Amino acid sequence: MYINPKVYDVIVCGAGHAGVEAALASARSGASTLLLSGNIDTVAQMSCNPAIGGQAKGQIVREIDALGGEMAINTDVTGIQFRLLNESKGPAVQSPRAQCDKKAYQFRMKHTLELQPNLTLFQATVTGLVYADGSVTGCRTNLDIEFRGLCVVVTTGTFLRGLMHIGQNKNEGGRLGDFSARTLSASLMEIGMELRRLKTGTPPRISGRSIDFTRMQEQKGDPEPTLFAFHDTRDPEDLFHVEHSGESRIGWSPGSAQVSCWMTHTTDQTAEIVRSNLHRSAMYSGEIEGVGPRYCPSIEDKFVRFADKPRHLLFLEPEGRSTNEYYINGLSTSLPFEVQVDLVRSIPGLEHAELLRPAYAVEYDFAPPTQLYPSLESKLIRNLFLAGQINGTSGYEEAAGQGLVAGVNAASKARGAEPMILGRHESYIGVLIDDLVTKGTDEPYRMFTSRAEYRLQLNHGSAELRLAHHARRHKLLGESRLARIDAKIKSVQDGVLFLESERFQGSSWASWIRRGGEGSGLPEAFQGQTPQVRQEVLYRISYQGYLEREQREIDRMRHVEKIRIPVTFDYLALPGLKRESAAKLARIRPYTLGQASRVSGVNPTDISLLMVAIGAGRSEAPNP
Amino acid sequence: MPRTTDTLAALATPAGTSALAVLRISGPDTASVCRAALGRTPPPRRATHADYRDLSGAVVDDVVATYMPGPRSYTGEDCLEVSCHGSPYIAQRILADLLARGCRPAQPGEFTQRAFLNGRMDLSQAEAVMDLIQARSERALASAQQVLRGALSRHMKELVDGVLQSLATVEAYIDFPDEDLPPEDRGRLEARVASVLEGAERLLATGRTGTLLREGIVTVIVGEPNAGKSSLLNRLVGSERAIVSPEPGTTRDFIEERMSAGPHGLRLVDTAGLNPCATGIERLGIEKTLERISGADLFLLVLDASRPSPALAEALASRITPSNTLVVLNKMDLLAAGAPPVASAPAGLDRAEVSSLTGLGLRELRERLERLAEGLQSTFGEERIAINVRHAHVLEQARGCLAAALEKVRTGGPPELLASDLRGALGFLGEISGKVDNERVLDQLFTSFCIGK
Ligand SMILES: Nc1nc2c(ncn2[C@@H]2O[C@H](COP(=O)(O)OP(=O)(O)O)[C@@H](O)[C@H]2O)c(=O)[nH]1
Ligand SMILES: [Mg+2]
Repeated sequence: MYINPKVYDVIVCGAGHAGVEAALASARSGASTLLLSGNIDTVAQMSCNPAIGGQAKGQIVREIDALGGEMAINTDVTGIQFRLLNESKGPAVQSPRAQCDKKAYQFRMKHTLELQPNLTLFQATVTGLVYADGSVTGCRTNLDIEFRGLCVVVTTGTFLRGLMHIGQNKNEGGRLGDFSARTLSASLMEIGMELRRLKTGTPPRISGRSIDFTRMQEQKGDPEPTLFAFHDTRDPEDLFHVEHSGESRIGWSPGSAQVSCWMTHTTDQTAEIVRSNLHRSAMYSGEIEGVGPRYCPSIEDKFVRFADKPRHLLFLEPEGRSTNEYYINGLSTSLPFEVQVDLVRSIPGLEHAELLRPAYAVEYDFAPPTQLYPSLESKLIRNLFLAGQINGTSGYEEAAGQGLVAGVNAASKARGAEPMILGRHESYIGVLIDDLVTKGTDEPYRMFTSRAEYRLQLNHGSAELRLAHHARRHKLLGESRLARIDAKIKSVQDGVLFLESERFQGSSWASWIRRGGEGSGLPEAFQGQTPQVRQEVLYRISYQGYLEREQREIDRMRHVEKIRIPVTFDYLALPGLKRESAAKLARIRPYTLGQASRVSGVNPTDISLLMVAIGAGRSEAPNP
Repeated sequence: MPRTTDTLAALATPAGTSALAVLRISGPDTASVCRAALGRTPPPRRATHADYRDLSGAVVDDVVATYMPGPRSYTGEDCLEVSCHGSPYIAQRILADLLARGCRPAQPGEFTQRAFLNGRMDLSQAEAVMDLIQARSERALASAQQVLRGALSRHMKELVDGVLQSLATVEAYIDFPDEDLPPEDRGRLEARVASVLEGAERLLATGRTGTLLREGIVTVIVGEPNAGKSSLLNRLVGSERAIVSPEPGTTRDFIEERMSAGPHGLRLVDTAGLNPCATGIERLGIEKTLERISGADLFLLVLDASRPSPALAEALASRITPSNTLVVLNKMDLLAAGAPPVASAPAGLDRAEVSSLTGLGLRELRERLERLAEGLQSTFGEERIAINVRHAHVLEQARGCLAAALEKVRTGGPPELLASDLRGALGFLGEISGKVDNERVLDQLFTSFCIGK
């Protein structure tokens, strides 16, 4: 084994959506970073459907942009269809979604990695981690090269002992055509980490020339695309990524030349095929031990669990501009190949469909995330961070959000700085990570807006206003952008103040709006603001009462959220603490009293007790 | 020091009857609560007599109040201690009033926590107090669970399930806009929210807990003139308020006194008798008596035990039932020891034999009265439930959220705000039945809808 002499600040293992954000965030915050991937041609691959965003996920992507991440801008310039979901509902529950050109997305991301100062990209498969004195110190690879780093971020997705099922057929691998990381699981278990199994699935891909689109309903993109990146505060040259060196990169003007998706549905015949072949499905024949998600059921599940629903909606999503491959959204299955062919051909418009890739289910190891601190660092061993699907989540956006946080925190740890912990009241990423490390998960965890108790605060348009203080503190954005965000924050505040104080019809403009007045009727002085500022101001004014209700609740929790619990705190020795609470708290080791209050079964008296006990050693703790 | 924005209120003495009950208030609004309820801020650190007036301006009790401005107080914040008469009814009424004025019920240990954080206590002192509080709250929890195992728990579960179902439906259409969900059925949602709201209102109103606690149980003393009604009232409240006269038909204006029967507050109303051959001014009194009868929660039917009883007036006979009436056979002292009463009480009614003159049998009378009040307070349909002032307080807030939700379903308000109201309701219901984890909303959602592409 050759030992590479350079000691990196941060090594990231795996270059999926979590890995690339982790590596970029780490490098951008100043840490020397190494990104290892088994195949650097497939970085940031969309292993499932070629789409980014959607409910709650779209908000996450905007938060990633607010924290200097790449997913948003990468989606904007490689997107081929953009839609704003829930346009008829309020701003808090509207989410942008985009279909992407799958290959363009990865190529641009790869190029971004290559251009990033402080970042080294290298193709090698990580086979194990190296530990010394309770700390991770590097990793070994299949090339017999050992890399050394102060911190290691593991973002291996579904690759840990990945096993794919197509009927009775089994193949090792984290994704069709790829390998499985077997020894890495052993390396994690070696330090006492618990691993469990999860399952997910993906539908067949078919050839576009075999589809009869005349039998389907077209779904077009929005004429006015809603983008993910905050172009109003970004440096203008970011958009077309023509660096000062003059290098040009893949991508097109966001929202140009959009393509359509197509809607069709299952038939009685589809149902019949599924029912008569259930015993041959990997999921129904007991081949699979992993737990699958409830929100993304296989077609088998849909017909079994909702037997009275005669047909299920399906979407055909194009995989890119320079391919004719289509993804059948809604038809995930683990039936045998020959049944899949009949299944697909039972669908209107797909009577003559040719399969390019079969559907399959994949089982993989995940590390229950209650083994992590909210910084995503392992409790078992120092300087080891885990992010993405390995933590039991599903979705590119959830992975990317965690990757970014883990990257920032690994870099912070390497230079001895405080971690970045995002609050539940300021971001979906905060909700995501807090849920994971406090409650864990039994199924692949997907974000829903309903998971956020302060949902109204988390409208997608306000992401950079909410998160600017973190971006500044961890140097995730350049000075020029931060200055523009500051100006935007001020414009929004001034705008609200202006409409609240300026008199109109015996009251204020604000109350006129709350009575249903149209934004277009507002005075000149206000109309001069950018659309982004106007939208945010109008939102805050029209939803004022409800936003304030949430804010009161946030304020009530604020001081407990700030009180840190020392990691060495001995819960079992605290007199008066309920036994069950003590045992649970000792396992979760919450970072703050706020987190402790969300551990299931912990009651307010326990929290009062803890507060008293912790406040005692107040000498070094921040003044609560 | 944590900047606390809310003002806490709680009973500082354990529940149960003791000579005095103490309520403690701590937080920034203490002084303004003093001014509003006591008429002024008492001089610092001096026990001061004052009338406690509730929001309606009615005097609840003559209390001893001690105002301790922060930081030299138990918690380090502005504090007020109110000692009132030991009747839990009075203490509960004051507490209910404090909550109505915007105070928040303190969690166990919260005063101590504030005291500690404000540097008014050292660790060992605080731990000792917390230890006690923990023990006490575990006992309280145990008894609360006892209560919850009964009918209340079933009703709470119905409410929680109803809100969960409504919320899951609303959330499904918010979070899965691109799914193939059946068309949204707002009519069904409206019916469901309306039924939960009605359930919450029934729980609040049929039990009459809220009003009964605030106003007391209206207990009307009826009986023929001269049976000893006024004497009985005086005996029960211990002062000479009603005019006692050997002349029949003296009590014309209503005398009303408050008393407590165990934990229950009663409003005892003395009436003129229902003399069938009354004339003039007495006639007027009788009409007023009939009015009072229609608004009564309980009746004390006083009979002169030494004489045969006259027939009951129809207006009265139709109102009295075994669950709202206690027959008081008065003047037992006039009978030879051991002799049965001459008077005959209507069949099926509980009875107590007393002498208002000597005090004989009064204790037993009080016990029966308490039992009657108990039965009344805990009637919910056919079942017995117990809602305390905290329950009533949070149920009332849940009711408010549900009413707002219903309004939005009816007018087609934004679904995310409708969800916000329903979540508010769920939060308040959770304060009685245990916190409802968001996971349950998702469970409900995924069982009701086929989600997922
Ligand atoms: N011996 C005796 N006299 C009583 C008793 N209760 C009331 N009285 C007398 O009966 C008379 C009428 O009493 P009062 O309370 O005014 O009767 P009301 O008309 O029903 O209110 C008064 O002279 C009382 O002193 C009792 O228990 N025993
Ligand atoms: Mg009288």
